[in-house]
Amino acid sequence: MNQWIIASEFAEVAVSLDLDANGPRLRLEDLRSGHVRHLDALELESIAWAPDERLRELIDPSAGRWSDRADDADGA
Amino acid sequence: MTVQYSELIQPERVHGSLYTDQDIFAEELQRIWYRTWVCVGHVSEVARPGDYVRKKVASQDVIMTRSKDGEVSLLLNRCAHRGNLVCEDQRGNSSTFRCPYHGWTYRNTGEMLGYPYNQGYGGKGKLSLGLGRVPRVDTYQGFVFASFAADGPSLKEHLGAAAGELDRLARLSPEGEIELTAGWLQHRAKANWKLLVENETDGYHPQFVHGSVFSVTGSHIGTLYSDKSTAVTRDLGGGHSENDLRPEFRKMEPMNWFGTSEARVPDYVAKMRALHGEQAEEILIEGAPHVMVFPNLFVAEISVFMINPVAVDETVQNVTAVQLKGAPEMNRRLLSQCIGSVGPAGMLLADDSEMYERNQRGVTARVPEWLDIRRGAHRERVDENGFRIGAANDETGMRGFWSHYRSLMEGEAQ
Repeated sequence: MNQWIIASEFAEVAVSLDLDANGPRLRLEDLRSGHVRHLDALELESIAWAPDERLRELIDPSAGRWSDRADDADGA
Repeated sequence: MTVQYSELIQPERVHGSLYTDQDIFAEELQRIWYRTWVCVGHVSEVARPGDYVRKKVASQDVIMTRSKDGEVSLLLNRCAHRGNLVCEDQRGNSSTFRCPYHGWTYRNTGEMLGYPYNQGYGGKGKLSLGLGRVPRVDTYQGFVFASFAADGPSLKEHLGAAAGELDRLARLSPEGEIELTAGWLQHRAKANWKLLVENETDGYHPQFVHGSVFSVTGSHIGTLYSDKSTAVTRDLGGGHSENDLRPEFRKMEPMNWFGTSEARVPDYVAKMRALHGEQAEEILIEGAPHVMVFPNLFVAEISVFMINPVAVDETVQNVTAVQLKGAPEMNRRLLSQCIGSVGPAGMLLADDSEMYERNQRGVTARVPEWLDIRRGAHRERVDENGFRIGAANDETGMRGFWSHYRSLMEGEAQ
């Protein structure tokens, strides 16, 4: 499995191509927590086209991983 | 007690306490370093969106960033929450910065993006806090300057005639742009910052301090500063000064200013001649400037220095090689010459650093109290553009520096 590490002082993520499913997926692993997410082609296309504002919303710490609303808490 | 700068700074001598007094150093930070335009870096260091580098303006830890829309910002590296350092790495690429202490997250323009567990603040977007921004940022020939004063002279006004010297550097590139992408060396010297600044255009010391280097390498630099030299030291006003070596370079062949010949850099010379036609001759003969831009940018032909004061008796001199955009043949040579002269084992800066530190130890002696800056005052004259000039090894540049320094230290505080 070819893997790239995209790292900064703020995050470290391993990126690889996952061929285990019926179609290819991008596998993202947060190396600091072990949390994994797969992205399919359409999801990737959507990210490529997403307005910057939408990406910024995802980076908001309270948007998911560090949310104090019970229904948002799906992270570490 | 108020310092009487008019007593300490006289036309032909300056008082030793200016290099050793803690109170004067503290006042310099307020009146010079956190007020006037200080060179921080170069736009080529943050060439792509998301790029950032950490810089210093005296004790201020600054992050230079490039946003998605291309704007270069200077942000203070201090979280708006508890004051922690937000960025630790010296350089990187990130559209956002997250403080490691409590996770407060900022865009690389300084704007608050979010914070964890936001219900503790009443929800999202409830805090109108962001990273501090340097009040004024401007660029000239890609050099990025910071001013912590909200008002005051514009960068263009501050640079005055020194701007033309930066133009002269940029025109050496076939694309009209320099790049500072070779990486920086940080030379720490146990010396007051002004000893470094004064030394940069002191044409009196090279034959003594660098004599061994010149004799070993057969360099012609020493003779440029001899008593027979036709080069001049010019007070450019505003505390800026230069050693104008062009009168000597004009007696030489093209590229001799760089210690080389046209035959050694044929692609570069061909490119410049194709681009500039007849004017290429002048550019290739006159070469790069040797200019000290007040208070901290020094261009020594092939090297760029940014001087940063740490304490009254400690200074960091950041050094890098000039790189000319579109001139790979020149850039290899510029880099190797820069490393040879001011690199980790560089011969010139090792000599100079020894002098800075000896000088700092020397000025602590109680008598004589003064440092003499009169050399060449009797033969100073005004050139065709109205600037004061002296011989190649006269202290005209120092006198110009001190005159401007005094005006800043005596003027109304901002």
